Amino acid sequence: MSDGKSERLLNLTICLLMARHFISKQDVRRTIEGYRGLDDAAFNRLFERDKDELRELGVPLSVGSDDPLFPDDVGYRILRKDFELPPLSFEPAELAVLGLASSVWDAATQADEAKSALAKLRAAGADPDPGRMACLAPNLSAKEPAFAAMWQAMLDRVEVSFDYHGKRRSYQPWAMTHRQGAWYVYGRDLGVGQPRIYRLGRVESDVEAVSGKGAFEPPEVDFEALLAQIEPKGPEGAAVVAIRGEEAGPLRRSGTPVDAPAPPGYSAYRISYAGDVVAELASHGAGVLVLDPPQLRQAVVDHLAAMAGEGER
Amino acid sequence: MTASSDQVTRLLSLVPYLQTVGEAGLDETAERFGVSRKQLLRDLNVIWYCGLPGGYPGDLIEVDFDSVAEGVIRLSNAEFLSRPMRFTPDEAYALLAALQDIRELADAESRAAVDSAIAKLGAVQASGGVAVRARAGSDEVRAALREAVEGRRVVTLVYDAQPGQAATRPTVEPYVIASRDGYGYLQAWSIGAEAWRTYRLDRISAVEATGEMYDWRGQPEPFGAGWLDQRADAALVKLEVKNSAHWITEYFPIVAAKRTRRGWLVTMRVADPAWWRALLLRLGGEVLSVDPPDAAASAREAAREALAAYEALADV
Repeated sequence: MSDGKSERLLNLTICLLMARHFISKQDVRRTIEGYRGLDDAAFNRLFERDKDELRELGVPLSVGSDDPLFPDDVGYRILRKDFELPPLSFEPAELAVLGLASSVWDAATQADEAKSALAKLRAAGADPDPGRMACLAPNLSAKEPAFAAMWQAMLDRVEVSFDYHGKRRSYQPWAMTHRQGAWYVYGRDLGVGQPRIYRLGRVESDVEAVSGKGAFEPPEVDFEALLAQIEPKGPEGAAVVAIRGEEAGPLRRSGTPVDAPAPPGYSAYRISYAGDVVAELASHGAGVLVLDPPQLRQAVVDHLAAMAGEGER
Repeated sequence: MTASSDQVTRLLSLVPYLQTVGEAGLDETAERFGVSRKQLLRDLNVIWYCGLPGGYPGDLIEVDFDSVAEGVIRLSNAEFLSRPMRFTPDEAYALLAALQDIRELADAESRAAVDSAIAKLGAVQASGGVAVRARAGSDEVRAALREAVEGRRVVTLVYDAQPGQAATRPTVEPYVIASRDGYGYLQAWSIGAEAWRTYRLDRISAVEATGEMYDWRGQPEPFGAGWLDQRADAALVKLEVKNSAHWITEYFPIVAAKRTRRGWLVTMRVADPAWWRALLLRLGGEVLSVDPPDAAASAREAAREALAAYEALADV
């Protein structure tokens, strides 16, 4: 049963945590009941597996020697300062938002990790309160098939390989961001030798790990600059538009009313924009008319003319 | 992760938790740790066999099974494991992303709490590489809606309609402020429609108090997967677009997309004629064909109306 293994791993953790110096593998073998009665080969195999498993759980296992004359006689211990969560204290308002955090993730793996983090906070004496912010129901999903592998590779700093736009990419995933329902990864494309942003929904293959853990050190990522890159690019500009009645709410709110001659039932606003504003303005039909500049007005008229003639070509 | 490694992670939190709390209810603890009562009892049995190396009775963690039988956990002789372990990167990142998602729905006051919580956690464990953003309207709107949900106040929303249509003013009983796929929404009972409705926060331009309060009406349909699914009255249309308009297949729920000689043939369900008209107007000359052809009539008409308005403008 797995309970026996859990018992052995917990006892091993406590044993190494209580050690005042590095203790040898043979001492561990003598001390932990779960290792008794095994032959050398079986013990060695099991001990290696247990060490890997503890590291996998995040237990900071140090390997070293206290003896300068015999530095190769390695032993093991867990330093308490590396192991224990440092003291943390939270205000009630912070505990209220932390309490919500356990129910945000749709993806099962990340949901479990968030819950496990909150369990640690509770064990440290904080009490995240899930009931206080019941008015909010945030949700974060990750439907892209490439998400799980890319997320793990980012955490473990593993280089990956995948197909994108018909090309095989070698890539260091440095950071990930979720925006308008889509996940993006930012990192170095080793083939191009430059940082690149990829949209996970467009990854065309499995994401394959091609290095060990800790293969790179990600630089500090400026997310605001990164998010600006994901936004549609285009020339920035300003325009004066006439908006009919109460239409085009977002556009009206982003603009400022100006005193310009507008048709009856319309009011004039100055707006600023970046990117393809022609399509956006045209989508309002007669609800939004460009007054100025003339080039923009002509572009919208041409755009509408293409639609007005559709089906007659 | 294996079941056993999950269990070890849990035990390493459970032992300090039970010491911090002092006396912990069995059911409450099971709920907090997301396990069944039976699993928690198994966990306690494992803990009971653990302790300081040596294995003498006084070295082991003590669990008072008499009181466990009465539903209360008392644990002692475990001072050596009185603090939880540090966060793993997996935990820190998952928690950070969740907090950032909450932040996008928060008003100014609770956003400050999210930021300070993130800062405190960040001081303990760096986890920079994730950013979550949502479109969830203005601070004022979110603050007014939160107040309305918490105080069960009936409010009137000034709600943007699709392009080409005037704003509407539904009077609603706000139920919850939620997010889904990068957008913030209000779920509310619409008094006019006598039905649950979902409103996008970035389309609410104002929240007006009515002075009325409402009574608990129960819960709407869970705001879960498939909430955007087609309605029964949705029409199936086929839209052929140039390659440059391929983005629509990623931004809208579509039924199918197929490459053609000229671009892409996209099959989608259209429930809202105003939305569809605005999409065609936005695409303009990128639209190659529409099937059935009549489906483009309204957009064509709207384009002609706009062109006529521009001509009239030239005469002003």
